[in-house]
Amino acid sequence: MPEKLLNDSIIQQVRSVFQKLREPVGLIFFGTESGCEYCADTRQLLDELVALSDKLSLTSYDLEREAEIARRYRVDKAPAIVITGRDGEQSVDYGMRFYGIPAGHEFSALIQALVLVSEGDSGLQQETRQFLGELTQPVHLQVFSTPT
Amino acid sequence: MLALRMALESPLVEVEAVEAMEFPDLSERFQVRGVPQTTINQGAGTVVGAMPEEDLLLEIEQALAV
Repeated sequence: MPEKLLNDSIIQQVRSVFQKLREPVGLIFFGTESGCEYCADTRQLLDELVALSDKLSLTSYDLEREAEIARRYRVDKAPAIVITGRDGEQSVDYGMRFYGIPAGHEFSALIQALVLVSEGDSGLQQETRQFLGELTQPVHLQVFSTPT
Repeated sequence: MLALRMALESPLVEVEAVEAMEFPDLSERFQVRGVPQTTINQGAGTVVGAMPEEDLLLEIEQALAV
């Protein structure tokens, strides 16, 4: 049995944050069997994370074997995590993608994103909401970071 | 993360949080030197560091005008 990736202290903190979760949130993992150094660890981390709340679910796909599904989610590299919300019976894709193992800052960002999607409110200022509401073109933001 | 809040708010906004060290080609393509770096629409705009909401908005506005 592989060693746990999340230590007890993290588990305790995250479980407490997840008390806030109301609406269910879906995580979709895309991995690939060869040439992906962190895919196995990312998958294990997500398994451990999702076990901490019954509001979270995880679906996993192989980037190559299930290329059609990857295309549908516009995922082209691995490891990748897609976060989805729910609108009634429907799964909603908010255009959030995490690429790479979520460690350090990225781990916090992932936890925050799950809470955000569950709450369903962006928390942005009125002016920002207005600006975004008036967008007529797509905006693609790539936020690069490192674990430390 | 501010960008993720924007993704939630608008169906036109898509956000990728990328771990730079695992994707060196992508990082090189967008010349990532300092993190966090926010690249807007494949390089139409670039911001290094964290910034307040209003500033990111301005950067996006400028990038769209390009």
